[in-house]
Amino acid sequence: MSVDFLVAMVGLGALYALLTIGVALLFGILGLMNFAYGEIIMAAAFAMYLFQHSPWPVAVAMALVFAVVVALLSERLAFFRLRDADPVTLMIASFAVSLAVQSVARMTVLPRAQGVSPKSFLTRHLDLLGASVSVRELLTLALCGGALAAVALLLGRTGLGIQLRAAAENFQMAKCLGVRANLVIPCAFVVVGVLAAISSIVLVWRQGSVSADMGLQPMLIGVVGAVVGGMSNLRGAALGGFLLGAATTLLETVLPANLIAFRDSFLFTTVILVLIVRPQGLLSGAKVRVS
Amino acid sequence: MLLDIDNAYIQYGPSVMAVQGASLQVAEGELVSLIGQNGAGKSTLLKAVMGVVPLHSGAITFDGSPTDARSFSTVRQRISYVPEDRGIFTKLTVGENLRLGGVTRRDKKALAADIERELERFPVLRKYWGKTAGLLSGGEQQQLAIARALLLRPRLLLLDEPTLGLAPIIVDLIFDVVVRLREEGMTILLVEQNAVRALEVSDRTYVVQAPGRVLGCGSAAELGKLPAVVDYLGFSPSDVRGNSHVR
Repeated sequence: MSVDFLVAMVGLGALYALLTIGVALLFGILGLMNFAYGEIIMAAAFAMYLFQHSPWPVAVAMALVFAVVVALLSERLAFFRLRDADPVTLMIASFAVSLAVQSVARMTVLPRAQGVSPKSFLTRHLDLLGASVSVRELLTLALCGGALAAVALLLGRTGLGIQLRAAAENFQMAKCLGVRANLVIPCAFVVVGVLAAISSIVLVWRQGSVSADMGLQPMLIGVVGAVVGGMSNLRGAALGGFLLGAATTLLETVLPANLIAFRDSFLFTTVILVLIVRPQGLLSGAKVRVS
Repeated sequence: MLLDIDNAYIQYGPSVMAVQGASLQVAEGELVSLIGQNGAGKSTLLKAVMGVVPLHSGAITFDGSPTDARSFSTVRQRISYVPEDRGIFTKLTVGENLRLGGVTRRDKKALAADIERELERFPVLRKYWGKTAGLLSGGEQQQLAIARALLLRPRLLLLDEPTLGLAPIIVDLIFDVVVRLREEGMTILLVEQNAVRALEVSDRTYVVQAPGRVLGCGSAAELGKLPAVVDYLGFSPSDVRGNSHVR
């Protein structure tokens, strides 16, 4: 395997892992399968389009702001009153939020796909261990890898992270111990907003365009990756997303040219096989003793 | 009275009345038990104290104020709860579970000292400090659940079936801890299937019959004088060697 292939594979794996953590975190805490996650990604992408002529740190900062604001607004306006609702109600509500935000975007600022001119540095290549590696792939790896490390640090080493993980596992018990719903739920939406923004920045870099329905595919990747890894386990979800991304890159490389169009068929057939063997997901239920 | 449950009615769904008119009181420093058959409504009463299930009617007050977990009054009032399923966060480490026990406390130095005290009380938790809690045995998880509950420095400790499904040696250990906590002055409301052991250690025992009706209340000797209680339990509580620890 060449260095450029490895960088691309691990980078896409890290991007998909970010997407799945965003889905699994809210599912764990609220039982919310958040189909509006794609619209948070779209909001960040719209900021990238809106501020594309500003210095890139400004565009990145505004993408973060837009995503976090949309995430928090969806929590406050839609999900706040449904905290004790059953998962099906929450799922329908998230569909409604998704369609509403998407429709508003289509009617106002994004009636059709808009191009985002790529930054010149993204098109360059660097020599790395004798291979020519795209700066865009390296930045994907660095940004998504860094974000994953930051999430791991937040969830594993901080008091807030412990509260988030406890709430994701058993919110009722966490509340009995004094973990505040009004703290952890908005914090979870902020984390989701930041993850969506970082994913969105990378997606805009890779696709070079923004549209009202651009969040659909990444949201589905997040859901599928989380199901593969295990919805109730954040580490499992991240692993599921990573494997999905790595497998996508691998298939693009090993499949003959006439079969590339069927890449997703191969990918999702593998997903179905994995779920037949482990319907609870790869890591869910592992290392937990039933007593 | 520290805890006062007055004529509580608790309903599950539109038609299932789990508790009908239960009243019970717990005084400061008392160890009070609830015994009765499965489905009698004992655990539901503890959940109602915590606000985990809502009251249909009636009132629950702690030190004169209503309890309501949704507004965090139970945490502010320092009521700790060990549920029947122990409520351990299986994906977190033992240490992280214990830290959550003091999540509302600001006195971090005192909290560290309290954690140290609980590690001395339950040495197995020190041994498995960094281990995922889901890997612990049932008895070890129960010790973790009790240690975590104690880190709130509770004024009232609610224990729901703490010995359920545990080996006899662990049952002895749990009851020893309960008795020691009582001797240290802690107020405890204990739900227990093992009626004999509950009667042995408790100051007072409530006998609960489905759906959540109190058949009788008192010490083992007092309960032995109530024919309905003797008939319901199938033995006379007065035959139990009871309350030996009570000062």
